[in-house]
Amino acid sequence: MTTVLETETHSPRSPLPPRISAYGVKPEYIQKRGFQLPNMVFVRIKDLFPDTPGVIWPPSNPKLIRETTIRALQDIDMSYIKPNHSVNILASHHGFTLLGGEPYAEMLKTIRDVIEEKTGSKNIRLRAGVGLRFRETEEYISSFKLDEYFGPGKAIGVAPIDQGVPIETEVGTLYGIKTIYDANWIVHAHNSDVREVHFHRHVDRAVKPFGMSYARIETRSTYHHNLGPRGANFVARAIFNSQFVRDKWAFACFLLPTPAGIVGVDADRDLYKLDERVTMLNLKTYGKIMTLLGKIDSAIAVLDFACPVPYVFSGGVIFANFCGASTDMFDLDNPLPPYTWYTEAYYDEDEKPMLPETPPPNPHIKAIVMNYSWIGYPSVFWAKHFPIIVVGDWHKQLFDKDPQNIEFMKYVRAVTPDLDSAMKLAHEISRTEKVIVFDGAAEGINVSKPLAELLLEEAPGVSTVVDRELMPKWLKQRGMKP
Amino acid sequence: MRFLLALRYVNSVALVDESMCTGCHICERVCPTLSIHVLEDLIAHVDAGTCAGCGACVDRCPEYCMTLMDTKEIKLLKVDLKDLPQDKIREICLKAHHHPKEVICYCTGTRAEEIAAAILRGAASPEDLSRMTGMRTGCKVECIQPALRLLKAAGVEPKKPIGYQWYGITRTIWDLPKDMLEKSEYSKFYFDKDKELMDRIVHMGASQK
Repeated sequence: MTTVLETETHSPRSPLPPRISAYGVKPEYIQKRGFQLPNMVFVRIKDLFPDTPGVIWPPSNPKLIRETTIRALQDIDMSYIKPNHSVNILASHHGFTLLGGEPYAEMLKTIRDVIEEKTGSKNIRLRAGVGLRFRETEEYISSFKLDEYFGPGKAIGVAPIDQGVPIETEVGTLYGIKTIYDANWIVHAHNSDVREVHFHRHVDRAVKPFGMSYARIETRSTYHHNLGPRGANFVARAIFNSQFVRDKWAFACFLLPTPAGIVGVDADRDLYKLDERVTMLNLKTYGKIMTLLGKIDSAIAVLDFACPVPYVFSGGVIFANFCGASTDMFDLDNPLPPYTWYTEAYYDEDEKPMLPETPPPNPHIKAIVMNYSWIGYPSVFWAKHFPIIVVGDWHKQLFDKDPQNIEFMKYVRAVTPDLDSAMKLAHEISRTEKVIVFDGAAEGINVSKPLAELLLEEAPGVSTVVDRELMPKWLKQRGMKP
Repeated sequence: MRFLLALRYVNSVALVDESMCTGCHICERVCPTLSIHVLEDLIAHVDAGTCAGCGACVDRCPEYCMTLMDTKEIKLLKVDLKDLPQDKIREICLKAHHHPKEVICYCTGTRAEEIAAAILRGAASPEDLSRMTGMRTGCKVECIQPALRLLKAAGVEPKKPIGYQWYGITRTIWDLPKDMLEKSEYSKFYFDKDKELMDRIVHMGASQK
């Protein structure tokens, strides 16, 4: 007899190889990946949620990304851009972490070519912002040869400590990065990946980079300290609505990822209209997978991707959101997610929350195995709240020297020489056979068989609840009609 | 489990490859502890005594001529709260709308009370605060506003450095224009509820012994 598990799971999927970076260890140190562990299977998102939209990537096909981008831009008015004008295409590091980065890089190249063709402008530049790893986009620019494509000196990485420019907004003076705005026109070339729901709560998601990767430290600090866990999202809107930005605004062009892969490219001169479309798509797709991850009753999380701890992916969901999956982070009536910086700020010296109603980090994560992850994000919160086992002394040395993680290793449970011994210890600590790997594998999730069974069993019920109960509530909270 | 007090360990220091340095001043302008000076020889010179090994210069040098070198001894940056008037520390924090125990630097775990203590011990700028507590020497991004808020609450007006280490203080939820809070199209930002939440935190700090 064939079981449901046999028909709806597949052999574990090989993820992308480790990336050469100043923020990670040398790829040759990564001897074994999480998907190679025993008893692992691959669950496709489409098998969990049959209403998942069809994807254009994977399989890898840059030509299709180019064609889709050209189609998205064909009706975008660019008549105001004159041949002698300069144009900054604004990008962010995160797009390059999606499915290896090639789809995003191809979209950026295509935007450049379409602008040149439609306007005659020859002065088209790329300005790529970062998170907390200031060289990261420089690495991607070089890796995808964007410097060659845009021309000498025209593709640069920018950082929030670079020279700034004051921007007068509805909430007073905020600050952008000068080189982001040093052109006649700006094009917001981003992606709709839900990513940091714990921060943005899917409020003005499409606008967020104006308060983050295009912004100076003063603005980003305002977001994370001054306006509250939900109010903070006004920062990006304030900057985007400013006369300074509006005078330079051309249009937005977004790559559209879902948990299953890239489903298209969307473009609009009206960023708020694009944001509504993105919100509708994301609440339905990411809303389902995140709600499903919240049904996991116990798990070992294996971090195995070229990103810092919170940003490693599984099923399109970043690890930070798995830490919050025990609550509904899309529900704006919940003020503090289990992890966000406002939450972290309100833990006392005994590591107890000052506010009694603060939800704990996902109690169903019983152990974390760090097989491959980057430095460059303050990650001690996870080390304090979960048993973490670090694979490899090289990994330890990297974190010991990271000024953002100077105390991280102090709280780590153990450092093991290899993945197998780390897993052995994790199983002893957790007493669970459920394993989920955050390795960015495309189209689905690498999990152990017991966890695959749970996901496949719970998915239909989750789908119904999201469609009938949660979507209407989430949309209403954002001023949108169901 | 009782966690150890947060400390900023400094285990590296910036090093300049003088043969590659062009004297462009960028490292000098981004250094949060003002530890780099480009002198008449048009070469960047690092003051190892105050360098916190944050790597801002390493990450922004256009010539890739800065590196971090391990130090022989590990330096600890920490301000002792002992022998300081605790009521004054609390007063500065609350005036800045921070609970004294609120974490204001996520990289070092530095809490508001330590920043207030550093100010009472003579810190007069974000750069002094970085040198004394280590704040702003991790990610270099997220904690500038609490630093500026606490300095302002203590009546200190910091002198702006020559570079672009920081520009200015910005608004908080406590001083948003009133008409903004009442706009129905802004209801999804939950300003009133978030202010309530943050007020609760501050009031807890006020009542804590």
